[in-house]
Amino acid sequence: MSNVKRTWNVNGEEKTLEFPPLRRLLDVIREDMRFTGCKEGCGEGECGACTVLLDGVPVTSCLVAAGQVPDGTQILTVEGLEKTEQGRVLQEAYVSAGASQCGFCIPGMLMASFALLSKNSRPTEEDILDAHGGNICRCTGYVKIIEAVRLAAQNWPRK
Amino acid sequence: MGPKRKIKSGHVGADSTRVDAPDKVRGRAVYTDDIDVPGCWYGKVVRSPVAHGRLRSLKRDEEFDWSRVSVVLPDDIPGKNIADLFIHDMPFIAHDEINYLGEPLALVAAPDRELAEEAARHFHPDIEELPGIFHMEEIVDLYKKQDSSLHSLGEQTTVKGDIEKGFSEADMIVTGEYWAGYQEQLYIEPQAMIAEMTDDGGVFIRGSLQCPYFINPELCLTLNLPPEKIRVKQEMTGGAFGGKEEYPTLIAGYCALLAMKSRHPVKIVFDRNEDILFTTKRHPSWGRLKTGLKKDGTITAIHAELLLNGGAYTTISRVVLARGILHAAMGYRCDNVFVDGRIFKTHTFPCGAFRGFGAPQATWAFESHIEELAKACGMLPQEFRRKNCLVQGDVTPTGMVLKDSVGSPAVLDQVLDRSDFAKKLKQSSRGNPKHKKWYGIGLAFFAHGSGFTGDGEARFKAKGAVELDWIEPNHPGVNIRISSTEMGQGAFTIMDQIAADAISIPLDDVRCPLPDTSLCPNSGPTVASRTTMVVGHTVHGAGLKLKAALEEFASKEVFEGRPVVLENGRFVCSGEALPFRQIAASYLDKHGRLRTEHQFTLPPDLKWDQSTFKGDAYPAFSWGCNAAEVEVDPLTFEIRLKKVTACFDVGRMINPLNCKAQAEGGLVQTIGYALMEKMGIRNGKYDADRMQTYIVPTMPDIPEFDITFVEYPYEFSPPGAKGIGEMPMDGLAPAIANAIENATGLRCNRIPIMPEDLFTLHRAKHQNG
Amino acid sequence: MKKLEKSDCRFPSTLKEALELLANESTRGRLLAGGSDLMVQWAAGMEPPPRVISIKGLKELQGIKEDDGAVVIGAGVTHAHIRSSKPVQKHLPALAAAAATVGGPQIQALGTIGGNVANASPAGDLAPALLITGGEAVVASRTGERTIPLTKFFLAYRRIDLKPDEMIVRFVLPKRAAGEIEVFRKLGTRAAQAISKVMCAARFSVKAGSFETCAVALGSVGPTTVRLPKLEEWIIGKSASEETLAEVEKRASDEVSPIDDIRSTAEYRKWVSGRLVRFLLES
Repeated sequence: MSNVKRTWNVNGEEKTLEFPPLRRLLDVIREDMRFTGCKEGCGEGECGACTVLLDGVPVTSCLVAAGQVPDGTQILTVEGLEKTEQGRVLQEAYVSAGASQCGFCIPGMLMASFALLSKNSRPTEEDILDAHGGNICRCTGYVKIIEAVRLAAQNWPRK
Repeated sequence: MGPKRKIKSGHVGADSTRVDAPDKVRGRAVYTDDIDVPGCWYGKVVRSPVAHGRLRSLKRDEEFDWSRVSVVLPDDIPGKNIADLFIHDMPFIAHDEINYLGEPLALVAAPDRELAEEAARHFHPDIEELPGIFHMEEIVDLYKKQDSSLHSLGEQTTVKGDIEKGFSEADMIVTGEYWAGYQEQLYIEPQAMIAEMTDDGGVFIRGSLQCPYFINPELCLTLNLPPEKIRVKQEMTGGAFGGKEEYPTLIAGYCALLAMKSRHPVKIVFDRNEDILFTTKRHPSWGRLKTGLKKDGTITAIHAELLLNGGAYTTISRVVLARGILHAAMGYRCDNVFVDGRIFKTHTFPCGAFRGFGAPQATWAFESHIEELAKACGMLPQEFRRKNCLVQGDVTPTGMVLKDSVGSPAVLDQVLDRSDFAKKLKQSSRGNPKHKKWYGIGLAFFAHGSGFTGDGEARFKAKGAVELDWIEPNHPGVNIRISSTEMGQGAFTIMDQIAADAISIPLDDVRCPLPDTSLCPNSGPTVASRTTMVVGHTVHGAGLKLKAALEEFASKEVFEGRPVVLENGRFVCSGEALPFRQIAASYLDKHGRLRTEHQFTLPPDLKWDQSTFKGDAYPAFSWGCNAAEVEVDPLTFEIRLKKVTACFDVGRMINPLNCKAQAEGGLVQTIGYALMEKMGIRNGKYDADRMQTYIVPTMPDIPEFDITFVEYPYEFSPPGAKGIGEMPMDGLAPAIANAIENATGLRCNRIPIMPEDLFTLHRAKHQNG
Repeated sequence: MKKLEKSDCRFPSTLKEALELLANESTRGRLLAGGSDLMVQWAAGMEPPPRVISIKGLKELQGIKEDDGAVVIGAGVTHAHIRSSKPVQKHLPALAAAAATVGGPQIQALGTIGGNVANASPAGDLAPALLITGGEAVVASRTGERTIPLTKFFLAYRRIDLKPDEMIVRFVLPKRAAGEIEVFRKLGTRAAQAISKVMCAARFSVKAGSFETCAVALGSVGPTTVRLPKLEEWIIGKSASEETLAEVEKRASDEVSPIDDIRSTAEYRKWVSGRLVRFLLES
């Protein structure tokens, strides 16, 4: 099948790629761009480990046909977090709260947290639960993840 | 600059953040599927479409171009076609009788995954189908009829006192039956393994696994290789929970056989569906308890039976059963105890290790039963437990005297106090039709054996090592060499703390690399809540030896033979001090690497009889108590867990932050076990075979937690830790069932407990009443 | 998931272009909007079609508009947009509530109302809330538009009244009248990302103590989402009393024929259907 060509801004850098139109965004990210921080846990949008942000909106990249992501889209994966002050604040909070155990869900979980705090840096408990309902963690029982999000919110750089 | 770890002064007992976290939050941790192996092929297992039958032939489509792929059939196995998992009853690749749906019939490898999958579709097995047995209900039915067609995979009994005499002394006898379903580990990283041949004709296996020294030697027989030619390395592991304990030997074997045949590295990464369908689960169980009681609540006799659905082959089930029966009547004072456990075969994938390892099933049954005992003698649940719980000096069902490190009744008292149990019990709804929401609180008290069963640790002789070496360019430091794995539980952080503490150097000068059988002594598998207690002790001991050796070196080489002490990263000698790194560097320059090793031992008076299952069942017990508060909607019978109050005694806490994290994670897995994670069998196949159908808790499902610890250190083995990993899995399910009973007046003897079950019970009660 | 990569996919830039592609048998393909259902089905083993037409982002399918009597929602509007839309929250609160229970935030950002309806799963989260509005689906083909009442749109298990050359373009959903209450409740096994065991939506009004209007719909209790016409007819004019509600519970339960499946049992579903309808009409 004929490939499509897309130019995106990925983690702050412009990238042009060609791929079959229905290739999963997850595969383009992991295999074509080698951002292997993005994880596949279920392949059907349930676990959230493959969550990335498209123009700031979290999506499960296993359910996105890469051809459907238009030119000019800003894609943020876990690897892009440390390039921003907010991203670093979030990472620090996850480390100091003890929110990461096996770490396999963490890249997706961080993206859900980042999407939330970018829009709403003073989230209520309910906001936090709602924003992370699409991410499954089997290790932590979520308690320390919630603490990390609260901690990140406290330290969130506000302009 | 990435995120930094926070290191507080003092190592053991401090909330050090995790050593693996900075890489993980940056997406830099490399898991098996992230490794780019040049020339790597992909493996695929050709599986039986029927659960029980006899393989007549395995035909292959002639039009398919087989030259593009490598195929392994039973005849291609260099050694014996036996999966060397404890008992030799399972073939690596089925060749005659098929015993579960999905049993391997052949293996294929191809340059890419799609071709391997396509090739697998061109096999056509001709199988004579035979009737199968699948469900726990079938097992129990046949067991009650004493039907000889049941196929036993193992049994064990332990007896204390005189059970008949105990019943004859009783004022009343209470019986109950308790069922528990399958549970899938559902680690988020599916099983993943890579094998490649080495120049010396051996294989190098690496992947997502818990126990490097299980795979080697277990593959020796199959691959016909000596152990030194099978190198196993753990890669970053995205959760395991027992699911990567014994199972990885199989997937490693598939990769190794294919690598040897194809002469290419071979990788297998399961997709979620394959992972759920064709890997181990927690054993479904049935427990029957019969207990003799005096009117005052004294227990005169406990007769406990525990049946496990073992699946198609024995594998690790007898070890699971051993832990099961040792917990089946544990925790309460009674002179006359009879425990009998059995594993029966079904035509399903062999069940296996899962956090808790038989103890959650046993505790589910026993703590549900305890609730009924309290009721039978008219006592409150907390009074009954407080009266009968084992305390220091008491004797367990196997005859073990609890000499020291006994966190009972402290954990029970702490939970009763912190949860305000007595008051809240009175507020429980008990199905009161006037209540808008039914509230209930429930209790469970339990113990969990740390380390291998009985004298297992004495026989195993776990060894750990530390090595003075260059841990980075120009950075002399200490590598910890153990075969224990980091799979998310925090072991490496704890080992760093223990080693740094023993040697008295900063945490930054210590690292714990992922284990590799070519570099690490065998400290044993990462199982049985043994890592901190047993392996931590070996690291502590090795660290002390390294410290002594370095002090001697410093004394001799630098301080003219005067006594030297290494403390807080400095060699101190009568007022003078030199930094650790300086002396370490000069040692390395002069002598090269320094390695010290230490072996775990048990107290000489520990006694265990493996045939009668009598004696000291574990080096030590951890203790726990949980109170669960639930709210049930009378409209729909939906169950909402509101709060969990938990207290644990895990000996000395090496890292309180991590202890709490372990407790939280385990408790939430147990919420799934108790209330959500339902898995049945339809046409020989698990029905919940995807993440969309196998339902685990999400963030909004978790309750409020109040988790505390009381410390009763295991003094025989510095630094005094006992096990924590498994215990959070033991008690919450019965605590929830007991809370549901107090909320609704309905007794559930089967987990998971669903609104559908409450509806059925409610209707039955209504119709009968 | 390489098998997906063998399918052709076209990216029309206008609705007209998309309808042209659909009109011609040689270019016709499976419509792909957000992918939150189809990508899952393909991942779970269903063979992907040779041709796919992406309608994600088509401007003509976007937007939530309000006119005097109705809220008009483009077929390509996402669940995330619906749950946060002021007009939907105000005039179609059951729909806003339903959209908030779809999957998690990631799925809500991808999935669309048109896709949810076209997928026609009996567990489709939006259907009950749509059905109680008495609204219409507007479908288009190259030759023009056709309007179908939503109550007649769901034909059978995973089948809607849509011809091969048609696509859903928008929904016209009458606002609740002054005094009308809308409520929604979904029962699942967990708090987030739940697929429903049973869900129920109702729009009704009570005047002078008696039911004046009433629409009730239930999902996951049969091959399609259903309204309960017998109950709705019976209840009009009845007083909002305990006796009526007890009778509502019984009648609602009698009017559905659910099945056993992996998520629940027929018996429980039947019983709880009545309980839910009663609960919603009590509120």
